[in-house]
Formats: sequence, C-alpha cells, structure tokens
Amino acid sequence: MATQYGGYMGKVLKIDLTTKEVSEYPFSDRERELFIGSKTMAAKILGDHLKGTEKAFSTENLLVVTTGPLTGTGAPSASRFNISTVSPQTGYITSSNCGGHFGYYLKKAGLDALILTGQCEEKTWIEIQNDSVKFHNADDLWGMKTTRTQETLDDKLRMKNGRVRKNGKICIGPAGENLVLYSSIVSNDRVSGRGGTGAVMGWMRLKAVCVSGTKEIPIYDKDKMIAHTKKWFKYLRKHPLTGDQLPRLGTAGLVSSMQMRGMLSTKNYSRGQYEDFEKVSGEVLAEKYNIVNKGCLTCPIRCARTVEIDGRPVKGPELETLVLLGGGILNNDLEAVLKWNYELDELGMDTISAANTLSYAMEANEKGLWDNGLKFSEIEGISKIFEDIAYRRGIGNELAEGSKRLSEKYGGKEFAIHAKGMELAAYEPRKAVGLGLGYAVSNRGGCHLNGGYLVILEGLGLSINQTTYHGKADLTMMFQDLMEMISASGQCLFTSYAFFPAPLLKHPNSWYVKLVNGVLPYCGAVVRLMNKYPEMLKLHLPVFHHTKGFEYATGMKMTFGHYMRCGERGYNLEREINRRFGVNANKDALPSRLVKTLQDPKDPTSKVPLEKLKKVYYHARGWDSHGLPTKKLLKKLEII
Amino acid sequence: MVKVKMFGVARLKTGVSEFEADVHTMDELKNSVPGMTKNEVKDLVILVNGKAVSRWYRFNDGDEVVMLSPAGGG
Repeated sequence: MATQYGGYMGKVLKIDLTTKEVSEYPFSDRERELFIGSKTMAAKILGDHLKGTEKAFSTENLLVVTTGPLTGTGAPSASRFNISTVSPQTGYITSSNCGGHFGYYLKKAGLDALILTGQCEEKTWIEIQNDSVKFHNADDLWGMKTTRTQETLDDKLRMKNGRVRKNGKICIGPAGENLVLYSSIVSNDRVSGRGGTGAVMGWMRLKAVCVSGTKEIPIYDKDKMIAHTKKWFKYLRKHPLTGDQLPRLGTAGLVSSMQMRGMLSTKNYSRGQYEDFEKVSGEVLAEKYNIVNKGCLTCPIRCARTVEIDGRPVKGPELETLVLLGGGILNNDLEAVLKWNYELDELGMDTISAANTLSYAMEANEKGLWDNGLKFSEIEGISKIFEDIAYRRGIGNELAEGSKRLSEKYGGKEFAIHAKGMELAAYEPRKAVGLGLGYAVSNRGGCHLNGGYLVILEGLGLSINQTTYHGKADLTMMFQDLMEMISASGQCLFTSYAFFPAPLLKHPNSWYVKLVNGVLPYCGAVVRLMNKYPEMLKLHLPVFHHTKGFEYATGMKMTFGHYMRCGERGYNLEREINRRFGVNANKDALPSRLVKTLQDPKDPTSKVPLEKLKKVYYHARGWDSHGLPTKKLLKKLEII
Repeated sequence: MVKVKMFGVARLKTGVSEFEADVHTMDELKNSVPGMTKNEVKDLVILVNGKAVSRWYRFNDGDEVVMLSPAGGG
C-alpha cells in the first residue's frame, strides 16, 4: 500500500510459511500516523490478529519484523529494526530491538515490515531480493552456530563475479532450533536478545532470512534532513554521555557507577555491591581488552566493544552480561565473561536470561532445593553448561526453561529474579526503586528499557533520591513513552540521552544540578500534567532533535507533545494486547526478595515499595485499579 | 594519607587508576589529581568511604575516596 510519507517504503510483506503464500499486508497512512513504525507498528499488526489465546509455539502466532520511518535515512543511530511476537518466556507479547544493518537492507528491498506466520514443512531459509521471495532448504545450515550460518549464507549469495551481494541477515543458532525459551535472533554480531524471539523462529523451522535490494529510501525534505542531521550528529558527539562516556567505555562503563550506588546485582540480586567489581569493570575492559570501538549504521556513538577470542576479533560484552556473569555469579574473571559472551551469541541465547537462570540454579543448589552441582564462584564447566542448554542436554534441558519455570518446579520463587517470566536486567532495583516499578510494569517482562530506565536519574546520570517513591511513577511513564516513540521511529534509545542538557551531566556538583536532584522527585504533579496533556507542548525542544528530524524525514507534523502522545499510544497498545492474554495488576510483580527483604538491613527504605508505586503509576497512566487501560483512554488514543 | 580510586572517563583520560594523597581538605584533593586540573576535578562525583560529602569535609587518615563521572548506558 503506497504511502504519501517519506521514510517509509510503503509495503508490508506477509509470508505464510506453511503454504509459502506471499502477500502484501495492508497498512494505511492513517495507521502510519498513529502507530509510526517499529515496535508500535508491530504491536498494531499483532493486535489486529491476536485474541489472547495464542501460544508462542503455534501457527496462530506471528513473528513481525519491523523498521521505523527513520531506519536507514541517515539520521543518527537509525539502524534499528524490531522483532515482536508472542513470547515463549512470558506468554505475552514481546518486542526485541536490534541494531546492525538488517533494517536498512529490509528497506532497500522495498519493505517496511515482514510478517512471518505458520510453520515450514522443512527446515528453511528465505532469500528476499527486491520483489522476489525464494524459499531454500536449510538442512545444511541446521545445527550451525550463528557466525558460521551467516558466513555460509554469504557464500550462497556470492554473485558470478565472486563478490557477495550486499545483504542483511537474521538467523538463529542451536538454541533457537532447540526451542530454548530465551533464544535470540542474531544479525551480523548484533542481537535481538530478549523475550525468546529465536525460539519462535526455531519453532517455525526458519533458520535465517537474508534481504537485499536496490530501492531508494525516500526522504520528504532531503536538504533540510541533511542539514539537521549534521547538527544532530554534532550535538551527540559533544554530549558527555553519547560523545564521551559511551564511546570510551561502552555500556560496560556503568559497572563502577552501579557499584558506588549499590545497584550492581551481585550473587543473584542478594546484594548491590561486589567486592571484586573492578576486575570485571568497563574500565579494565577498555584498558586491557578492547581492540576497537564499533558502531551500527550511521551511529556517531559507536558503543560496541571488540575483543579478541582465539585470535579472532569478536563483539565484546555489554554491561548486562558483564555484571550478571561477573558479580551475579561471584565471578571475577573478565576473560571468562568475554568468552561466554561470545559463546552465547554463537549459540543464539539471551545473555541476560542465561546468566540469571544460572545464578538462580546456583542459589537453589546452595539452599539445598535442587542438587545440580552449580556453585557460585566456581566457573569451570560453564561453557559446557551453556552448550548443554542450547542443545537441551542433561541439566541444560532444565535450564533452557528459565528461572520462573525452574522455581515453580524446585521452589525458591523469592529468588527467581524475573518479571512476567522474563529475567531482570543487571540493575539491582532496591537501590533504584523507580526502575523496580519499571521492571514490574514493563510490557515485555523484566526489562530496564521498556521499564523506563529511571536509573539514569537514580544515581547514574543524575542523582535523585534512589529509594524515595515520590515522583517516580510519573517520571517512569514519561520516560517509557519517550523511549517507546524513539524505538517506533527506528532509532537507538541511546539518542534519548540528548534529552538531558549537557551541563546537567557535565557539572554534577553545581548548584543547579543539586537543585534538580533535590526538586525533581517532588515535581510529580508537573510531570503528570505534561504526561496528561502533552499536546500543550507544541514545540521542538532545542536539545531534542528527534521531532524535527522526524518531520523532515517523513513529512508528518511532529511536535514534542505529539511525539510523547505517540509513545503513550504505543505503550497502551501493547498493554491492551497483553490484557487479552491475562495481564493485570497481579502480573506486575517482582520476586519477594526485591520487595520484602531489605538490601541494607540498616536502611528501611532499601526495598522496592512496589504496591505504592503501582497505585500512583496506574493513576498517572489513566488505568483502572486492575492496572488496565480504560475504554475511554483507548478511544482517546485511537487504539479502539 | 587518603587512597583515591579513579573510575569512568577520568580514569581513561588520565591513565591513572589510583593514587595516594596527603590531603586534608577537598580543595587540596582537587589540586592533587595527576593529569587533571582543579576545574576538571570539580566536575567529578566524589565519594568518601562510599558516601557523598560536603565540600568542607576534612579528610581522616585512611579515608577511601572514589572519583567518577556521571554515566549512562543500557
């Protein structure tokens, strides 16, 4: 369905893997205006199909791969694509966002999105080139790890002149083939990690999708877009987080800050500090192991690390992996983490869920609930454990189910660290209670980003009171909506740091930063007003280049207020779909360790006051007391 | 004598991970960081024995100081 808007290719392709039927899926300009792209577009498509009875591993499920209107337009960090589906981990919808260049090539092939449904009769990989879709047998690829799979596919895409056709790929590894519930989908060396999207692809018997094409990505006002993009790049390069800290240290640079603030998950979230944190920190990673920084397409930040494993340059670990496979299991051997990170990517497994499942199992063993031989700080044999998980061998077959299901079998629900079935990220929320709320209410389960990432205010970027509940619910909603829309437009969430004017981060000891830190938690009413009536903000913020960039790329009118409203729509749409699957306030929960046990026995505030926070949050969102969007709200947001 | 540990961007910029300093006041500390001017140090988060302290804090022998910069990631 052609579009009047720039940034879009105007076509969504649906492939029924059972029948091999390929058809164009209608997606109108009105739907583009409302649901923008990427995860929100995917939610719209899923919402139009799902009734709430569908299982992840069933022909009724869809795997929806989407781009945003800014993907591939040259806007900074706009390489992102998204994969949404019913998650085998949570049973609700999940969305998993990925960088690299697959999204760009999907658009070069003329597609905004790809909908996959059904199940292939035989193991298959799909080749999409411009308007052609070919199904290939994947018997020879099945069982291969992710790098070898992609190298073999490149060989298959070699042209007569010997060169490999420029292409983007997504593929699964052995974990996805064997339906490990937290399998990832890998694209080059970037990973769509969370929610078990790889297992859904494995169930579909789909090993890989390769896309390539020669179509031009249209831009509504190219001259203005180019001029604006130059300014935008310059701004991000000068910003203390996107221009200095992230390029120098990557996400791993947060380890030391988290340690100082008591939010470094240690020994399966039983504490917030690890005495050996420095040995597994971003500083040591940068000083001793990082060969070169790497970035996704058109990214000025270049946060990815490159390390050497067996003489080969490979992707280094992100913060989450470093923390959860470091202090999380009481391991101070950084080289081991580098190796495991590589192995997990090769097997196609989410490092966060794998690490947390492992630390749950270690604690269950320590407490005598499950005699599995796994012990904190004993790291020999962990590589084999990961292989066993991916191939579902022995104890690995059980670990492949994740911590929620294991705790239902063996006990220890209080220390199975998940929300809605998906394991939490590396931030210990008892010293960042706003993020604790975010983890609990996040649409995809225990996610820091979908949860609003309030840690940026709670001690990392700014330093507001980490354990007060004041203001946290309204701020959580604001940041969730902001990030929802950044994702929907096809950009990396790291560009959201631009929202914080550089002086706030450059001068943490200045009077004005101290004032902001002191006052912000008590500005809940102001934030609520902005959340409730974003249309009042009919402007472009000077520090937030996204709105103008969106306008120039697409031709859609966009103000900051409208931007926020689109984010709110996306967040509520996912919640509404999850409602059909049974999500309500009871499911917005955290394990009792985090809400009942004090992290610091001397500090009565060092636990997540979840019920209190939820109540304010639901009210701020305009949801009912069951934590569900009201019909009135859904109508106002044009979701129904 | 206080023990100072450096983290974050400041550590990579100066190449200094830790040092000892014979200082009694914050002002003296800010003047004693190798490779950094007082103005640059002013913009670091400074924690003493794990806690934020006022600029008038007087150091005790054996205090452990941490210096780091605001950070973000995901």
